[in-house]
Amino acid sequence: MSEEINQRLAARRPGLESSAEIDPVTAGIIRGSFETICFEMATHLGRAASSAIINQSNERNASIIDANGRLAGLSVGIPQLLFISPMAVRWGLEFQQQDDWGPGDLFVGNDPDHGGGHLPDYTVYAPVYTPEGRLLLIAALQAHQGDTGGKDPGGFSPDSLDIFHEGLAIPGIKLVHRGEKRRDILDLLIRNNRLPSFSGDIAAMIGACELGGRRLEELFARYGSESVAAAVNFNIDETERRFRAEVAEWPDGAYEADVWIDHDTVGNRDVRVHVTCSIEGDQLTVDMTGSDDRPELINVWNTFSNSRGYAMAQLASMVDPGIVKNEGLFNAVEMIIPYGTIVQPPPNKPAALGAFHPACEIGEAICIALSEILPERASPQVYKLGMPNAVIGFDEQGQMWMDQGVDVRASDASATQDIDGWGSMCSGLGNLMLATAEDAESRFPVINLGRELTIDTGGPGRWRGQPGTLNVKKILEPTTAIAWMVSVEHPLRGLRGGDDAGPYGNRFNVGTPEEYEVEGSVRAQLPKDAVIAYQYGGGAGFEDALLRDPQAVCEDVLDEYVSLEAARERYGVVLTGVVVDGDLAVDIGATAKLRKELGAAKAERER
Amino acid sequence: MTCRVGVDIGGTFTDFALLRDGKVTLEKTLSTPQDRSLAVMTGLEKLATREGQTLAEFLGGVEEIIHGTTVADNTLIEMTGALTGLLTTEGFRDEIELRRGYKEDIWDVRLEPPPQIVPRRRRLTVPERVLFDGSIYRALDEDAARAAIRRLAKQGVESVAISLLFSFTNPVHERRLAELVAEEIPEAEISLSHEVLPRAPEFERTSTTVVNAYVGPRVSRYLDRLSERLHQAGFQRELLVMQSSGGVMTREYLRQSPIRVLASGPAGGVVGGAHLGSAKDAPDLLCVDMGGTSYDVSVVQSGAAPARSGWNWHHRYLVAVPMVAVETLGAGGGSICRVQNRALQVGPESAGADPGPVCYGRGGELPTVTDANLVMGLLSERSEFAGGSFQLTRRGVDQAFERHVAKSLGCSVEEAAFDAWRVVNANMTQAVQRSTAGRGIDPRDLTLLAYGGNGPVFAAIQAQELGIGRVLVPRSSPTFSALGALAARPTIDEERSYIVAARNADLEQLRRLWRELSERAARYLKDAGFASAEVSALHQLNLRYPGQNWSLTVEVAERLGNNDIDFVSAEMRDTAIERFHRQHEREYGHLRAEEEPEITGVRLISSVAVPQPPFRGGFSAPVREASPTGTRRANLGNGFEPAQIFHGPELEPGHRMKSPAIIEETFTTIVLYPGWEARVDDAGDYILEANGSD
Repeated sequence: MSEEINQRLAARRPGLESSAEIDPVTAGIIRGSFETICFEMATHLGRAASSAIINQSNERNASIIDANGRLAGLSVGIPQLLFISPMAVRWGLEFQQQDDWGPGDLFVGNDPDHGGGHLPDYTVYAPVYTPEGRLLLIAALQAHQGDTGGKDPGGFSPDSLDIFHEGLAIPGIKLVHRGEKRRDILDLLIRNNRLPSFSGDIAAMIGACELGGRRLEELFARYGSESVAAAVNFNIDETERRFRAEVAEWPDGAYEADVWIDHDTVGNRDVRVHVTCSIEGDQLTVDMTGSDDRPELINVWNTFSNSRGYAMAQLASMVDPGIVKNEGLFNAVEMIIPYGTIVQPPPNKPAALGAFHPACEIGEAICIALSEILPERASPQVYKLGMPNAVIGFDEQGQMWMDQGVDVRASDASATQDIDGWGSMCSGLGNLMLATAEDAESRFPVINLGRELTIDTGGPGRWRGQPGTLNVKKILEPTTAIAWMVSVEHPLRGLRGGDDAGPYGNRFNVGTPEEYEVEGSVRAQLPKDAVIAYQYGGGAGFEDALLRDPQAVCEDVLDEYVSLEAARERYGVVLTGVVVDGDLAVDIGATAKLRKELGAAKAERER
Repeated sequence: MTCRVGVDIGGTFTDFALLRDGKVTLEKTLSTPQDRSLAVMTGLEKLATREGQTLAEFLGGVEEIIHGTTVADNTLIEMTGALTGLLTTEGFRDEIELRRGYKEDIWDVRLEPPPQIVPRRRRLTVPERVLFDGSIYRALDEDAARAAIRRLAKQGVESVAISLLFSFTNPVHERRLAELVAEEIPEAEISLSHEVLPRAPEFERTSTTVVNAYVGPRVSRYLDRLSERLHQAGFQRELLVMQSSGGVMTREYLRQSPIRVLASGPAGGVVGGAHLGSAKDAPDLLCVDMGGTSYDVSVVQSGAAPARSGWNWHHRYLVAVPMVAVETLGAGGGSICRVQNRALQVGPESAGADPGPVCYGRGGELPTVTDANLVMGLLSERSEFAGGSFQLTRRGVDQAFERHVAKSLGCSVEEAAFDAWRVVNANMTQAVQRSTAGRGIDPRDLTLLAYGGNGPVFAAIQAQELGIGRVLVPRSSPTFSALGALAARPTIDEERSYIVAARNADLEQLRRLWRELSERAARYLKDAGFASAEVSALHQLNLRYPGQNWSLTVEVAERLGNNDIDFVSAEMRDTAIERFHRQHEREYGHLRAEEEPEITGVRLISSVAVPQPPFRGGFSAPVREASPTGTRRANLGNGFEPAQIFHGPELEPGHRMKSPAIIEETFTTIVLYPGWEARVDDAGDYILEANGSD
């Protein structure tokens, strides 16, 4: 929708009216109750939903939003998404509330031009009224749906030209009226979704959201609604105060970064995200001016709500993790997101893929910009995979199946000061539960042939990035496979002198004469028994690899994260012995000499 | 004549409960961390002395010793397990490091990785592959396997975990690998994933097998040593060990999967709670155990403590064997109160036992929950504490609250203590709500059972916040876990994976799997000295709707004899499907009648009934008012007012007390908040009830 509506939705909102005084202790207790209620909602949804992406991968979030549209509380989930759902709810509050909202109602919205993120992310929300009949809070859930009824199964199309290719866009529609499900509307939604499991997912979302509503009503009864309102105000103000107090400690100045996406889905190269973080006293301004605005770009348009959300997910990782996550974060940060660029597109642009890129590059650019002054918290909260590596087919009854490809893997787990990259992904994605082979293979016609860490793909550095995995999969039926390569030429960037991560790479029809490396983007029909191999990018390194403790490099070689050659060439560490014999040792003299040579050569290059 | 002994080893004390001819004797002795079996022997000697017997005479007459141990937990906390290697399917070397993406804190980029039990150099792969239906896609390459095993041998590996894909559908490769390991590293202990946890998916099974391999040798050594000491001292039967599922089993059975003793301590209390509740017509319980550092919450339904397997993280490792679900919160009497960023925080840091709360007078300087209770008058300087071992002191307490809480909050010391009490209460209420989340449980339908030294102080106010009207406080509250061990049944709780559309389930396959499970159980139970006629069996199926990730477990038959599988029929299949629909609706609020559920696994719980400690007295007494020993000014939530003080040991069955009142028991204190009254029941336990007034 228009820039005007986006600005209206994003505008700072006043506190709730309340006649109560609240003390910090009671406010803290009510905040804890909010988090518990969100946890209950998210748990209920995760257990009851039918699609693997919700019940196995945990791609769902719960939040509590106040009557003015402010984020009042949230559960653990996926940070980027957590910060998006208030916008869809605000659209309902601003434009539909006058149309017969009441207790026992429940709505859904997913339209990027009406506050949504991208079409697959459904926000389901229920207004909650006090015993006096005042709308005070809204229980909201957001979950990723496996299909959106667009031109391609799964909702991700590299060749979408507008939002209507991608599927059914819902600004906001009532699913439950005064406690009664609207069968006509549910039928409409279910009819517009290829996945048979959608009916179970939407039922689970409704059930979980209603549970949240009941819990909030109990909270009104327990503490009094005026006190709850006062607690919301207190906690939001407290978060703003604490965020600003941290910013006040940061050196004033303007810190900039560019991050590049290899190309859009039709081959327009070097798509640019530019971010300037300015600090003046306790005011942080994140300005995305300078980001790409070429009208011919396809599928790299990130919706306005997503741009705000991804920026905030990165910022929240760069302050004390104990700061409570709520609207106070947005109150503390000025965001300049220029209209008509890839970070706030004009209406009707396709939105599915933009929610990955450039969304992630916004976070990465903020991380790089602020790494100069916040080295101990610089860790990009991103994934650079292009798009999920889903394989899709249809069974004998014509029912769609989809192995969503959110498989166990390692990607983009970067190092930060004093800590090597570890585990599977960045911390922010630590609640995403990756799919297992044994579960996938009993559901879908696939065989997972392997997904091990690939040696030398973690970015070298004084602290090393985690390598990426090579996920190899055989599909036993004819299938559609989709890929978009965004980080081959521009992999995840090393921080403060660390090296870049190993790049992504995909190969289709592996082991046949038709084998090929995917370039740009592709939607391929593959024959029965085709093998596909996805090399995920590694995490980036942190600070100069020549400063890494030689013994740590020796351990890395023993563990086969790093090869003997890379130890020598990238880290300047000379080892004696044989890896499989476990008798490696650092040649101290040779290492010192080599590091000196490599250091001089590097200085020469930089000059 | 029966004679059974329950033993529970805690951090500070080792507790004993002797059940002889329906009579219970309790005993306590200091734990001996260097060799915990020493305290066990000391305590048994004390019991023998009290029975007027020598240790040999006493042990000769004991039929069962049931033991709860923390040795597996300690091994993981201290990271002192065996040098462990992992052999897994080629292509899947790193599952254990990737943890399905899990990270404990999504906001903290400074979270360090957990120490790796098997670093990459000691997790090696072998070419082989079994598919989901058990067919072999790629044969085991034995030469490559030997090379990998030799590489482990070179690193001095003491314990080897073997976890191959789909081994639970066809274990032939795992078994062959075990033979090769035994040839190449004869002294190594071997853990096979299809034995430790025969179910999907691979990360959960592999992680559980790796932790099993890591803690196993130490657990086995400990149990062997204890068993040997007991036998030398005259004990003639098999030692029974508490499992995390709440059942007990022999050392021989646990040798295959010693991981099953992890977190078994809290399980003992919950099992005891279930029996106590059933005896008192309270089959649905919320059990809260509040000690010095933690608050453990669990739910008992229909007289049973349901064990759940799956996503159980312990000490940063996933262990997926069935465990009685216990939610632990860092909130106990020793939890420290502090103000950070204008917010009052209570716990999870604890002052522990040493120095302990300020009021212990042992040098503690930070205010704790126990100190707050003292300021509020819930505890008193004059009363004896912890069984009379010492008295609390107010010295330094007010200053500690002033310095660390009141000054920052701008309030009085008494207000600060009250705030700390409120915060810890709220934290506990939220822990309860988290533990019932997604399970279709309404706390209001439960009776609250409070134990542990600090549980009864908060029990009634907790109940009130949760809408619960009835509270049980056993008089044996502080040694409840040892007593609980006596209530636990010898149990084997196992499952086999079988994924199939429920309507198409092959009845012969179901029979075969149940028969396999029951034969296994019968063999181990027979070795433990239980005749097969004593064994009863509960048959269950795991079911889910197509696409779901989490299964629900439904019972498909009443409790039967162990080998009795005549009930398997098409009708049973229909009943199971129907029960699944109903349970799904109960827990999740909707059912999908048009969809065909799928079976994911076959479960069998084989157990033996044993003599129970009496949780119900054999006599009734007239109801009468108890006489208070005095009054004290105390804040029971509504500001300071005089509260009646009762001396617990003087109270008898039939005695009744009204709020505001405080009952000082030997090892604990029970607070009767406004709106509550208490009576002593026919077993000498306390029943607290909300009387509707406030």
